[in-house]
Amino acid sequence: MSLKDELLNEQVSHLDLSGFCQIASGTAVRAALAAMRQSKTNVCLITTGSRLVGILTERDVLTKVATTLEKLDVPVDDIMTANPITVTPESSAADALWLMDEKKFRNLPVVGQNGHIVGNMTHQAVISYLAARYPVEVLNRPPRPDHFPQKQEGG
Amino acid sequence: MSIPVTLNRKDFVSDQTVRWCPGCGDYAILASVQKTLPDIGVPKENIVFISGIGCSSRFPYYMNTFGIHSIHGRAPTLATGLAIANPELSVWVVTGDGDGLSIGGNHLIHAIRRNINLNILLFNNRIYGLTKGQYSPTSRQGTKTKSSPMGSLEQPLNPIALAMAAEATFIARSIDAHTQHLGDTLLAASQHNGVSFVEIYQNCVIFNPTEWEGLDDRRVRDEHILYLEHGKPMIFGKDLDKGIRLNGFRPEVVQLGNGVTEADLLVHDESSTQLAFILASMEHPEFPAPMGVIRRVRKQTYTEGLMGQIATAQQARGVGDLRRLYESADLWTVTAKEEKPVKSKQTGRLSLEMDEAYVDEMDKEPEVTTFMQDRLIEDTIAALSPNAPITIDASASLAKAVRHMNTHHIGCLLVTDAQDRLVGIFTEQDVLHRVVGLVADLETAVIADYMTPDPVALKANLPIAQALHEMHVHGFRHLPLVDDEHRPEGIVSFRDVVHHLKESFA
Repeated sequence: MSLKDELLNEQVSHLDLSGFCQIASGTAVRAALAAMRQSKTNVCLITTGSRLVGILTERDVLTKVATTLEKLDVPVDDIMTANPITVTPESSAADALWLMDEKKFRNLPVVGQNGHIVGNMTHQAVISYLAARYPVEVLNRPPRPDHFPQKQEGG
Repeated sequence: MSIPVTLNRKDFVSDQTVRWCPGCGDYAILASVQKTLPDIGVPKENIVFISGIGCSSRFPYYMNTFGIHSIHGRAPTLATGLAIANPELSVWVVTGDGDGLSIGGNHLIHAIRRNINLNILLFNNRIYGLTKGQYSPTSRQGTKTKSSPMGSLEQPLNPIALAMAAEATFIARSIDAHTQHLGDTLLAASQHNGVSFVEIYQNCVIFNPTEWEGLDDRRVRDEHILYLEHGKPMIFGKDLDKGIRLNGFRPEVVQLGNGVTEADLLVHDESSTQLAFILASMEHPEFPAPMGVIRRVRKQTYTEGLMGQIATAQQARGVGDLRRLYESADLWTVTAKEEKPVKSKQTGRLSLEMDEAYVDEMDKEPEVTTFMQDRLIEDTIAALSPNAPITIDASASLAKAVRHMNTHHIGCLLVTDAQDRLVGIFTEQDVLHRVVGLVADLETAVIADYMTPDPVALKANLPIAQALHEMHVHGFRHLPLVDDEHRPEGIVSFRDVVHHLKESFA
């Protein structure tokens, strides 16, 4: 069974989606960063009313703000990625992962039919799925990889 | 109060080689405990792990905290004394279905009954693992093992119901393979003042690997687990389409819809004794396995009561004098008796034979593994064709680091010392959370002060599963690879893993 087959039957909403923070369009970049820091997330979803209009990630912060600090005071709309591609909660996890892989996305907002933001899919969702799917191989490993026992004690 | 110190998982990893069987569920529990402890707000020197005998009871060796690997079944007794003598401590008892419910059953019940401030973790795999596969007090009736070739005759003990009978003030259940749930449950247990009893379904890969089928399989687990939340109706299923309803005195599983609504369902109440007994009686697979906090009530702890009595007594009669009390009783002197030496009958061969029997057990009937399992274990990280690392000297400025990342279009720098050894990692997350708008002058700030020092790094000859393990446990997206001299050799991302698992099949 391939990775795709594994994930084909899982809906995105069944994965452990990552957290995000949400701010209103027009907010200053500085406030967006503060919100991300406070919620300890790397992603900020920008909304007008309840509609998703943009996404700001740590990569935008690195490439667009880190060296030009004047940007801290512009509206977040100026540096966000507008109208990000989203998936529905019912999409298959395989399709979502393949989309992320193809487009080199690291975040994929999950938005329901009524525009409600359900979560943010990241690679972490798939890592966590694989860890729980193959606990014997992935999860149940010693805390230090160099400390694998030569001989087991007990069963 | 002590000064708050930020701890991380690594602070709780000991230098001892972990000697559980490869693939044992204990590893996942260990990782969850090590990941949760930094969040409980207790200084490391105030944390103690006490165990009895058994596989799970090797736990204290692997925790970089104080600990006692004690006497079979007696961990609750040592823990009781310790918790009363020093109420500042966070005392954790690690036991199993054998240690805690066979030989140590009584001690466990009475420690719970006293409501001593302990966190008791009972790893339940429904088998004796350390003694190589005999049925345990929690094995289902009819379980065929070496000690019950025609099936066990005894009724299994129900640990949750037992804890209820002993009036435990906090009772919860979780499972090894669901690390997020386990972590949350452990945190809740640690925050409870009084005894916290946590049953953890644990997979013995050697002697009882199919015990938790359905519950430990990520694909179907949400169909079989009832996640409890105080005040919320008991809904479960992947699509949240099923629930638990009470029919007379009996709980029953109902499908939502067709006139059955949320209002018909039982609502979880952590303070209800009756509901806790109902939940305890719900056995998988007839019912979904209830997981999470089953009962949480606040009652006086033993220590509080005892200290109260001491205070009352001292008020009435003054502070006691131990010497006077001692000398007030009849005293006599015991003279030493001559000791006769006893010849040892130990040959030292027993353990050797047992090990051989055990190796046979390990070698028998090779398991059928799937393509994915083979890829995860047989393929090494080197097969992911890791990218060349982009490094930066630890003395470089933050400005240089940011320029470096933007020039190379990367989000992660490996920081090296003068000998080119890996000493830190600096990522775009650090730029977001610790640098932009917070550091006045990027030119004078040095990367060494902002990087994550001594990052987890792997050797390229380890299996892919190890890379996924680290990514899962720590939440990393990238992992640095190092050579024998700890010099950066490469870097792998989760995307590389996906590519590999995708490509190797085509």
